Amino acid sequence: MARILLADDSETILLLLRTRLEMEGHEVETAVDGQEVVDKVSAAAPPDVLLLDAMMPRKSGIDALRELRATGIDTPALIVSAHTEGDNGADHAGLAIDAYITKPIDFDQLFAKIAELTEN
Amino acid sequence: MIGVARFLQQRQDYENATARSYQREIEARTRLSQGEHPAAARAAVISQQQKRQVLRDEISSETRDTALLVGAGLIAGLTGAALLFTGLISSMRRPLEDLVEASGRLAGGDLDARVQIGGLSETATLGGAFNEMAEELQRRAGERDQLDRMKDEFVLTASHELRSPLTSVQGFAELLLLEREKLSPRQAETVEVILDNTRHLVRLLNDLLDLARSDAGRLTIKPEPTDATGLIEDAVRTMRAQFDARAQRLRQEIESGLPQLEADRDRIRQVLVNLLTNANEYCPEGAGIEVKAHFTGADVEIDVIDDGPGIPGQQLEHIFERFSRGDAGETQRVGGTGLGLAISKSLVELHGGTLGAESVVGQGATFRVRLPAIVHDRAKVT
Repeated sequence: MARILLADDSETILLLLRTRLEMEGHEVETAVDGQEVVDKVSAAAPPDVLLLDAMMPRKSGIDALRELRATGIDTPALIVSAHTEGDNGADHAGLAIDAYITKPIDFDQLFAKIAELTEN
Repeated sequence: MIGVARFLQQRQDYENATARSYQREIEARTRLSQGEHPAAARAAVISQQQKRQVLRDEISSETRDTALLVGAGLIAGLTGAALLFTGLISSMRRPLEDLVEASGRLAGGDLDARVQIGGLSETATLGGAFNEMAEELQRRAGERDQLDRMKDEFVLTASHELRSPLTSVQGFAELLLLEREKLSPRQAETVEVILDNTRHLVRLLNDLLDLARSDAGRLTIKPEPTDATGLIEDAVRTMRAQFDARAQRLRQEIESGLPQLEADRDRIRQVLVNLLTNANEYCPEGAGIEVKAHFTGADVEIDVIDDGPGIPGQQLEHIFERFSRGDAGETQRVGGTGLGLAISKSLVELHGGTLGAESVVGQGATFRVRLPAIVHDRAKVT
């Protein structure tokens, strides 16, 4: 199963996502903002998947991803967003975002996406 | 006018002179009949008759002159009036034409329409009043636009902020149901209720969001060549379980070889699912629902036909308006938001298509989606 770095500023959402992901057999590490994500991801041992909330205080998931991409880390990334499809800007081009996960989360869809990204 | 007064005086003098002359003639004739100096009396009669003839000639000439004078006066007066009016009209005409033109623009929605104030004091006042009115209209329109923007922003923000707590409620309720075997039947049922209501809230939130976007002109579609048949089958497949749950027969009859649509797949799917959900929820158990699709030569026409209770004319008229829903009795049972059809119509129209409804009470209802097809005109190529 996959090693997932999960970031959200809401403890409730972290607990929910962590529980569901661990029940699926994934190994989960958490962060509460983008800065912690950047600190925890090392080029030497990157996680299999990044699951980042788009909007977090201090540093957003998008900004964290931008920094990581700049240092050459190409870990697959899923962005969790309260926005529905139409509102996710095209300004995220070049960040290699694999999918947007819309709140409320459809877990079947999320698990399928993670499986797809970690198949190889 | 002096001429006329003099004429009237002359007329009076003539009448008096004529009367005196008659008097004298009568006196002469009396003398004649009495045989007094017959020659002198006869001469007096003739003299009076001649005198009256002279008076008559005089007065008729005066009358003619006066008539000429009055006529000339009238003509001069009329000409003067006409000249005066022409002047008046031309000095009013430009400002009035401007007003008419500006009113037309204002009515057409151009709130910048103003007139140049000038001309007579009356038209200037009118122009001033028009400009004040236009100013006021523009101010109010500005306030209304600002309120509209605030409302749209509020709905967008609120629906965004509500999503996180809803995610938690729905997520943890689902989590509980994953361990259903540890729950009592009553607890499981309770969690189901929480989930049902959460899903309803999410649906309402999504619908409100779509409407706010639509109002703000931000409801957008990403059209691309889309297989019509696959799209319809997908929507039908999604809804199959709900129809089975209410023992309703769901049939599909899709013409083979339907052309592609230039469509936003998710959005058209949303429209079809909305129509099918309505049929599912408003029709009684055991009802029959049919999805038919065919190509008209320009459009793909998709009909969702049910044999349910039908929609009364008055409701049918307003069915695509927001928060328009079926009878109160129905809506207690039905889980909709009253926004689905309004959004569906906006979405179909964004595709350049149409969405319509027909119904006869007691004979079911038909909702028709028409979407422009991608037509490869072979005749043109060859």
